[in-house]
Amino acid sequence: MTVRREKAERLADEELMPLIGAKDPEAFEVFYDRHGGVAYSLAYRIVGERAAAEDVTQEAFISIWRSGARFDRARGSVRSWMLSIVRNRAIDALRSRAGKAPKLAFDDDAILEQRPAEELTEEEAMRHETASEIRGALGELPGEQSKVIELAYFGGFSQSEISRMLGVPLGTVKGRMRLGLEKIRGELAEGLA
Amino acid sequence: MSENDHKRWSEDVAAYMLGALEPEEAAALERHAEGCERCQAEIRWLTPALDALPESVEREQPPGELRARIMAEVGRDAAAAGAAGGDRQATKPGLVERASAWVRELGSGPMGLRPVAGVAVAVLVVAAVAGYAIGGGIGSDESGEPTTFTAGNPPGVTAKMVSEGDSGTLHLANVRQLSDDRVLEAWVQRDGEVEAVEALFVPDREGRASTELPDMEGVEVVMVTAEPEGGSESPTSAPIVTIPVQ
Repeated sequence: MTVRREKAERLADEELMPLIGAKDPEAFEVFYDRHGGVAYSLAYRIVGERAAAEDVTQEAFISIWRSGARFDRARGSVRSWMLSIVRNRAIDALRSRAGKAPKLAFDDDAILEQRPAEELTEEEAMRHETASEIRGALGELPGEQSKVIELAYFGGFSQSEISRMLGVPLGTVKGRMRLGLEKIRGELAEGLA
Repeated sequence: MSENDHKRWSEDVAAYMLGALEPEEAAALERHAEGCERCQAEIRWLTPALDALPESVEREQPPGELRARIMAEVGRDAAAAGAAGGDRQATKPGLVERASAWVRELGSGPMGLRPVAGVAVAVLVVAAVAGYAIGGGIGSDESGEPTTFTAGNPPGVTAKMVSEGDSGTLHLANVRQLSDDRVLEAWVQRDGEVEAVEALFVPDREGRASTELPDMEGVEVVMVTAEPEGGSESPTSAPIVTIPVQ
């Protein structure tokens, strides 16, 4: 491991971004190693095919490499920003694939990582633990709330489309989305308390 | 603003955050929210819930080739930026251009056919642009006498490679101590292909490390990376030193 890489690994994401903006490949390598896994996982969850998920992940990370300086710290964490880029590109890919239904999974209980725990770093392990708690919170949602959130966030459908798909009034869809997000938020707040 | 007016917009905040509004609806809500502290507060409150959604997905292991492809593209960009900017750190003339050309050559074929070389060249480009590869040969000798190539400047890693006939010996100095689960691995580049040298080595307490290079015929570049114990089939980190031998 080089000294530069070691230094980069000690930096927070927000401190890596100026280096990436200055086209430092090792800073970007550290950034990918930190977030490539969750980015690919999100892309795969949305597009449902490994090859397409790879393309989405590659496009998203190259986009970040080329526009890293555009990250605005005031608008949230680097990780959330990165995941929103992945999500948007995955939804675009999904929409461009005519005739293919999005991969939608409503069984949020049947989940856990494939790698053995001893292979995870401490940070990864904490994130997996957090992810497990979040899945728990999602699993607690009433089915009609989790379904509209799933269709919107992972399926890329608009509220009007969801209304038509489910055969319920638009106002009902709006209400379920709001109640669902508020419930997740409440669970997270309880977890922090 | 009336309570009813705010309520109308507030009903759409969750859909807006989930990306479920039509573009014109989302733009209208954003314009409203710019001047509405209550909407801003609602968005701030719900943001952690939105951030939690991608974190909830089942974890899939991305293929190693994906990392290699991304870093190869990053290497191409960095090499181009270095060449366009008149890279002042790479004092070996033409190295950046040569590395960039190797990447372009690799990139012209079907993706994934030569992933090992792709990764290696990518990190080589990284090294060139970042200024690791700063050495050069001290002449060549076709009479069969040993030829010495050097790279690096103290206090960084320095390398001396003595080539005699078709074999060589590589001596490194000022190498930082590695963790117990890391080793040094040497690589050679020959006709655009990067190959592992089947010998792993570690630095001594003084930061010195040596390894034999049994087949130097046609080798253009030698580099060394830190790898997990047991070595790797392709480089997984940027080189600690790169030695052009032509």
